[in-house]
Amino acid sequence: MISRFYLFAFFFLLFTGAYAQTTTSITGKVYDEKSHEPLPGAYVHLDDTKTSAATDAFGNFVLGKLTAGPYKIKVTYLGYQEFEKEVTVTSGQNLSLTIGLNESTRNLKTVTIYDKLNQSNESSSRKSEKNADNITNVISARAMERSPDINAAAALTRVSAVTLQRNSGSDEAYAIIRGLEPRYNNTLINGIKVSSPDPVSRFISLTTIPSDLLDRIEVSKSLTPEMEGDAIGGTVNLVFKDAPDHEYFKVDGSIGYSAIFFNRKYDDFNQGAVLSKSPIDRFGPSYAATPGYFTRPNLDFTKKNAPPTYLGSFTYGRRFLNNKLGFIISESYQNQYYGTNSQFNIAIFDPKNNNRPVLSDVANRAYSTQQLNNGLSGHLDYRFDDNNKISLDNVFLYTHIAQARLSIDTSIIGGNGGRVGPGTGTVYNDNRSTIQNQYVENLKLSGKHVIAQHFQFNWAGNYSNATANNPDRADLTLNHLINPDLTSTPNYFDAISRIWSKNGNKDLSASGDLSYITSLGDGNALQLKAGGLYRHTTRYNQQNQYQLKPAPEANGVKSSFTDIYSANWIVYNVTGSLQSDASNYTAYEDISAGYGEVKLTLNKLDIIGGVRVEGTKQGYDTHPVVLVQTSNAQKTYTDLLPSVMLKYKLTDISNLRASYFKSISRPALYELVPTPTFGEATDVTGNPFLLHSEATNYDLRYELYPKNEEQFFVGGFYKDIKNPIEFALQGLNQGGQALTTPQNFGTAKVAGAEVVYSRYFGNIGLSGNYTYTYSNVKSPKVFNTTDAQGNTTSALKLQDRPLQGQTGNVVNFSLLYKNDKSKVFAQLAYTYNSKTIPFIYDGYGYDYYTQPQSFLAFSAEKQLVRRLILTAKVNNILNTPTTVKIDNLVQSKDLYNVSFNLGLRYSL
Amino acid sequence: MKTKKLYLAAAILFAFAISSCKKAELTTFTKVQIPTSSPIQAGNISGFVKGTLLAGQTYTVTADVTIKKGDTLSAQPGAIVTVKNNAQFNVQGVLNLLGSQVAPVYFNSDTNKPGTWGGFQADSAQAITIKWTHVDNTGGPDASGSARRTIIVNKAINVDIEDSWFTNGQDDLMGLFRANVTILRNTISSSGSTDGEGINLKSGAKGIVAYNVVFSQAGSGIKLETDKKVPFPQTEIDVYNNTVVAVGWRRGSAEPGRGTSVGVNAIGHVYNNIYVNCYHGLEIFNDADVVHTTYGNNLFYATVDNFTDLVDPTIKIDLRGNFYPAGASGVPQSTDLISKKVGDRDPQFVSFDGTVAAPNGYPNNNDFHLKTGSIAFGAGTTNVDPKVKGIGNQDLGAYTTDGQGNKH
Repeated sequence: MISRFYLFAFFFLLFTGAYAQTTTSITGKVYDEKSHEPLPGAYVHLDDTKTSAATDAFGNFVLGKLTAGPYKIKVTYLGYQEFEKEVTVTSGQNLSLTIGLNESTRNLKTVTIYDKLNQSNESSSRKSEKNADNITNVISARAMERSPDINAAAALTRVSAVTLQRNSGSDEAYAIIRGLEPRYNNTLINGIKVSSPDPVSRFISLTTIPSDLLDRIEVSKSLTPEMEGDAIGGTVNLVFKDAPDHEYFKVDGSIGYSAIFFNRKYDDFNQGAVLSKSPIDRFGPSYAATPGYFTRPNLDFTKKNAPPTYLGSFTYGRRFLNNKLGFIISESYQNQYYGTNSQFNIAIFDPKNNNRPVLSDVANRAYSTQQLNNGLSGHLDYRFDDNNKISLDNVFLYTHIAQARLSIDTSIIGGNGGRVGPGTGTVYNDNRSTIQNQYVENLKLSGKHVIAQHFQFNWAGNYSNATANNPDRADLTLNHLINPDLTSTPNYFDAISRIWSKNGNKDLSASGDLSYITSLGDGNALQLKAGGLYRHTTRYNQQNQYQLKPAPEANGVKSSFTDIYSANWIVYNVTGSLQSDASNYTAYEDISAGYGEVKLTLNKLDIIGGVRVEGTKQGYDTHPVVLVQTSNAQKTYTDLLPSVMLKYKLTDISNLRASYFKSISRPALYELVPTPTFGEATDVTGNPFLLHSEATNYDLRYELYPKNEEQFFVGGFYKDIKNPIEFALQGLNQGGQALTTPQNFGTAKVAGAEVVYSRYFGNIGLSGNYTYTYSNVKSPKVFNTTDAQGNTTSALKLQDRPLQGQTGNVVNFSLLYKNDKSKVFAQLAYTYNSKTIPFIYDGYGYDYYTQPQSFLAFSAEKQLVRRLILTAKVNNILNTPTTVKIDNLVQSKDLYNVSFNLGLRYSL
Repeated sequence: MKTKKLYLAAAILFAFAISSCKKAELTTFTKVQIPTSSPIQAGNISGFVKGTLLAGQTYTVTADVTIKKGDTLSAQPGAIVTVKNNAQFNVQGVLNLLGSQVAPVYFNSDTNKPGTWGGFQADSAQAITIKWTHVDNTGGPDASGSARRTIIVNKAINVDIEDSWFTNGQDDLMGLFRANVTILRNTISSSGSTDGEGINLKSGAKGIVAYNVVFSQAGSGIKLETDKKVPFPQTEIDVYNNTVVAVGWRRGSAEPGRGTSVGVNAIGHVYNNIYVNCYHGLEIFNDADVVHTTYGNNLFYATVDNFTDLVDPTIKIDLRGNFYPAGASGVPQSTDLISKKVGDRDPQFVSFDGTVAAPNGYPNNNDFHLKTGSIAFGAGTTNVDPKVKGIGNQDLGAYTTDGQGNKH
């Protein structure tokens, strides 16, 4: 329905746009006087009238519907000197102007709070990187619009030293900065921590954030004292759109398709049959569920043609009341259908072959996923006067995921099979339907006040709440045996499980800072800043599981399975598992932080330094039925985090930066809670004895900004991470299933270098970055030795390896084509990641490695008529598989195939 | 002469009379009674418990019982325990159930229905000894809704289970991982609903499984494996003189159960067993430590030629063809007694109802003693374990003529 609305809106706008042609007008182009680059987003208006316009992507503007007469035309573009000119238009005339602007050079002498660059465009992104206190990369909304990326995750991969961590079969993605796992990085919305709907991490999947809502993404690779200290790789700050200085309206829509469904059907199930409430949610805790309570159509998988993907968004913003009140509202709706074809195998030791890994189980999985993202962001600010401003920001993200997973598994070694050769043995069909509804709400109220000429006070209060609800996850297993003569038995009905689970994460925080700025004469300034933060976080996890056992045949034998509608079952645990489920817990985290920061701006040198103190209190309660000592714990620790950043302006267009800072990484609350999560190959359980990671970081970077939208950076970094956290084998549980826990492994050393370069040659632009990262850590692995008598024993032995999730080489390269005359922009983006360890193998001498990957994506836009742009995006052109191998055995292989997108964008 | 003779006769008579009056020396200690350590008063028990369940007393378990590390729960002969509310025993310390032949210990649920209490969850126990104890109707759902194993151990401790009866469990009856086991002369009947092994030994378990009867188990009677992830230390077990009857059917033909299976780098020494009416007889999987596994002197018999699968009546399962299943590494040994047709090499149980596939909880009214003249007598070996001499028996099966066998 909503997608239809968007289509309608398009046609409506298309026609109104066509009618808007008038006779008397001023048209023109705004460009940078020095570089001759067009300036998109400059504000053009006629003094003493209400007529105004913003320049488009190519610097063009049109002021239409004019009456003949004299006008004073003004152009403002932040960061540039204002342009003013008196012109006269006669009736029926189309006056054409070319306006060159000069960059303003301002000195930081007094507090200015409204001077703000229009950071949503690419050239101002470069400016914020240049002027930032720390080592930063910024992606602008313009860059995201033009790139092939529809969500924050994909856009981030264009940043140097950023890669994405993806999980098999799911579309979740988290940022890896400088080859360091997501755990070592933090994600902020408008500068504030986000609560996570993910039960196992602190993060929000970046694929759930439509890039349309974002003004820019800032990636900081070094921390100043005012920034939260729990980032070792870096901080990703998602800045949502801010109220514009002039009326802003943009709407776009597109339609797409995933090429994976050219080759196979989409596995659909009846989402309406998924019961939102479990039996005890509906009838109370003592209700004994009957077999009839549990629905069947959500386990009836039908093959159909995948529907197309629809994407649409609109943004509207302006200022009222003499520019005192500003607002912007942005809505993005994405209804995507995609699939993954996946192979998943388990590797074990082969005692008959010198303990080299050998595959013990193989599985083929086909995922069909519908993901609906609906994001709404709103911003309201009020400027009382030049010295006081209050802002209200709200971001609401809703994600609905419906996924069918059809899996075929075979045990090659062990199991109850009887596999005696290729193509034989017991085959398990595991069909699963899941629905997940995620809600993320982030509300921030903040103020900026100049309380005296040299003093500024900022404050912010934030409420963030994330929940994820997984109702009635239904899992059906069947099995049949392929005999040595390749005949097959019928399908037997093995089991059904139904799980209702939910988790929630809530943050309340308050922060404030007071700063003092004074001029030290002639371009020199001193800023002193002190501030603090308090945040209270709570988290809960709840699970209610029902096991449906097949009703046996009259002779007690397991029954056969023909279809879900004729299956007979009994409910084995009629009251569910909620009262005693091992996955239930509550947890909390309180952070109190304070800092003092000094920023000294000398003629050529900026020095920012200071110290931050962060106190942490964490705890959990698993509410067990049988008392266990580790079921409730509290951990407290305090970290002292000093930092110094130096920025030396070699010339007007180049900087040299050096930084030193200490930072930490806290384990996710889930990682402390000692309750098991059952997995495919291994169960995962938290570890209350896990320590937080502490890092010392050094950075050096040379930056050159020759022209607009052009840059050259080269830098190096070194990190020393004490107690890195990685998942590794702890032991075996009941039945010998491997148990994995997060553990600390000594001290890891991480070193790397990065180069960033972008430049335009006429219409052609090149943009590339390369990062090399090296890391080393020692961890214990199982090592087998055989004595003279032929007795083999296993012992633990330390092995050197890179850090889990660390990527050695990352290359991003884009080829851009921009033609201002034909109003075409095209981009071909290439990304390369070298191999990484996705998780630790427990045997000595071998490791799992995600194989190197090359991705290619293409995007293009062409202005059809004024204000209306045709957009096209093609992702994953190379159909790059995600392959994990161990010793040349394929542990997993996921294929997503190409996706296409075609759309229109209209902007005022 | 006459009087002399008379005296002599009288003396002999007298001596005889005296001697018949003489009584053996008797020492009694009735004055001082050594009290039972930490006696547990009859009635309801739950929570953290240690001490002794007393002879002849009846106890009701109302909620989970936990025996803490360092604590011991003992049972005297004749103690009777009734478990309510699907409760279980969590054993972190020592479990010591000492029944006797004349006065066994009893554990059962209040409902006396299969799968209605949780058994002994002893993953991290310090030691387990169970003698002459009845453990019935275990295997009720755990916290996640799955059937529980009746006795689960996951630690290198001594586990000694002798002369006991286990009936109507729902999953594995014994899941003894990493433990040093002595499992002698037990009777396991009709356990596992549609899955679960009788005696499941994995992850480096060591020891002896002998003279047991396993009847109508859902999965395999005796299963040996080493853990897939941790192949050393290897599981190595002497499996001898067990009588395994009608096992492996309830899991369906997609996952047939075996009388005995050896897989995943485990070592078995499998001798002198009798396998009757099992879905698969003895399966030495290709992934077992085939080099070190030894077997022979086993008797395989089926009371019918074929069994018709209820799920798909077109499938006729050839019982004799499955004594050594096709494709596996196990092959008939010259010392084996392998039936060629019904009646051939019949071990001649005293009474057997001919059960093939039967439901969980099916009554075991059979007597698996062997009739006089059974070919199983004298067909055994006393060289079961290549490392230790003299282990084994001259006869096959759980009931032997030398009195070493099962006493049930």
